[in-house]
Amino acid sequence: MTALLSIQGVTKRFGGVAALNEVSFDVGEGEILGVIGPNGAGKTTLLNCVSGVYRPDAGSITFDGHSIAGEPPHRIARLGVGRTFQVVKPFASMTARENAAVGALFGASQLALSRAFAAADEVLEMVGMAGKASLPVASLTIPDRKRLEVARALATRPRLLLLDEVMAGLNPVEVDEALEMVRTVHRSGVTIVLIEHVMRVVVGVCRRVVVLHFGQTLAEGTPDGVLRDARVIEAYLGEKYARRLVGG
Amino acid sequence: MSAAMPPPSSETILVERPRLLDRRRLRRLLVLLLVLGAVLVLLAPLTATDQADSLGAPQLVDRSQIRILTTVAMFVVMASAWNLVGGLTGYSSFGNVAFFGLGAYTCAVAVDAHRLHLPMAAAIALAPLVPAAFAALVGLPLLRLRGHYFAIATLGTAVAVGEVVKNVDYLGGATGLFPPILHRADLLFLYLMVGAALLAVLVSRLILRSRFGYGLIAIRENEEAAGVIGVNTTMYKVGAFAVAAALTGLAGGLFALWNSFINQELGFSLDFNIQMILMAVLGGAGTLFGPVLGAIVLELLIQNLAGRSDVAVYAQIGLGLLLAVTVIFVPRGIVAFFGGGSRLSVAHLRRSLRETGV
Repeated sequence: MTALLSIQGVTKRFGGVAALNEVSFDVGEGEILGVIGPNGAGKTTLLNCVSGVYRPDAGSITFDGHSIAGEPPHRIARLGVGRTFQVVKPFASMTARENAAVGALFGASQLALSRAFAAADEVLEMVGMAGKASLPVASLTIPDRKRLEVARALATRPRLLLLDEVMAGLNPVEVDEALEMVRTVHRSGVTIVLIEHVMRVVVGVCRRVVVLHFGQTLAEGTPDGVLRDARVIEAYLGEKYARRLVGG
Repeated sequence: MSAAMPPPSSETILVERPRLLDRRRLRRLLVLLLVLGAVLVLLAPLTATDQADSLGAPQLVDRSQIRILTTVAMFVVMASAWNLVGGLTGYSSFGNVAFFGLGAYTCAVAVDAHRLHLPMAAAIALAPLVPAAFAALVGLPLLRLRGHYFAIATLGTAVAVGEVVKNVDYLGGATGLFPPILHRADLLFLYLMVGAALLAVLVSRLILRSRFGYGLIAIRENEEAAGVIGVNTTMYKVGAFAVAAALTGLAGGLFALWNSFINQELGFSLDFNIQMILMAVLGGAGTLFGPVLGAIVLELLIQNLAGRSDVAVYAQIGLGLLLAVTVIFVPRGIVAFFGGGSRLSVAHLRRSLRETGV
């Protein structure tokens, strides 16, 4: 598998605190990679560095052969990197359809106005929001707003989609629906990096997981392997959960 | 509504948007009104010319009304231009009068016999360019600020530019500049200013219906999200600022030639600065015709009330009240009021009457 995204020695400091310290890993084309870690591990900071919201202090980030570390967000989006925000950031005065259509006008998609709405309907269908396309954002529930985040990012036609805790705050039924959505998006040929807190999600959809802890890569491997790793258990999961998981 | 009826699902209520139809009808009505108004504005003054006078045609407007109409058109340009940045992009500029002043001085310097001594057409062509270049230059740092900081910084910039202009001898210093007086030119300037107003509306319309316009709205709604979906936020913001500056500068240039006099107080008038914002907000910031309506309504009020000494005080109070009421109850302006976007709107009232079965 060739690497679509390659992160090498990325460091990001805020004052004296290194939120990311020499983080390195690759994401293969067509993969779903999970990035997990306790609060403050640097997961969102990493995502911000890849999407251009932050400029890393050191290290290189390569996407599809282009060096993107320190590039502005719009240029990275244009290359085909889409992302969602943990705290959703919809275009509040617009309908769901308009939100997705704006995505289709920009990014790697760059559709003409006349075709943007058809593309918006397509991605809303994919995330399961076809019936709510004409609703204004104000009347969408939180799970729907999270779906809309994904739809807007998808509308830009990304090759790589960075999902920042799209399952956080959802109830078990909603998590299942969201998992199905992630699988559907993945089947459509999009490589996914999934930042998550909810263990079930990572185990359910990822073949490979990277564990961050205090800004460093603690472990990397299959979900089962990583979850058996003593350091990971100590840092993050707590022995009880791991024992149950391994035993079950 | 009877109690036996099942509660409607939230979706059906929300999907139904009777507003859409109203909005379309409203737009048609607005276009019709504007066309009628434009025809009247363009033809009525012809009855005030000497030729019409000698033919004995009835005079539909007197000369002072031509002046008022020209001023209204000037504010249509400025309010529409402000709307591109303040309404569409969500950056409330309190310094757009700087562009007006720069355009005015550009024209005045260009036609001055002791300075550039260019023909009037060349001066008018230059008037948008200088403010646009200035906006692009100061926009790069200013548009990194948001909210109150942006408002204060733009206001400070406008005041500073005015002070600099006042202290440069080449620009006439505190005395100002005196472009040559053109005799019997009030009709010419009315048509030029109306032309500028039509241009401002046309440019706004083109922007609203383009990728550029959607990018600006995305910036207003959430700048960080706009960036990561691929909007070049810096370029878009500076671009909108420069277009607004060009239009405002054109109005300023025409004003300087029309008025045959420009100084710092006229060119960088804080009254103009506030008025163009009020007009856009009153009419409906972010809409195409809102600023146009706001400019017409407010400027006619100001000209007909505030100018008369007997009611001037009450007019001031009235304008203040009007603004307060607008901001509190119809924050999206007159257009939203008739389009159903407000709690106090006509369409909302009709809808709630229908729903409660009255």
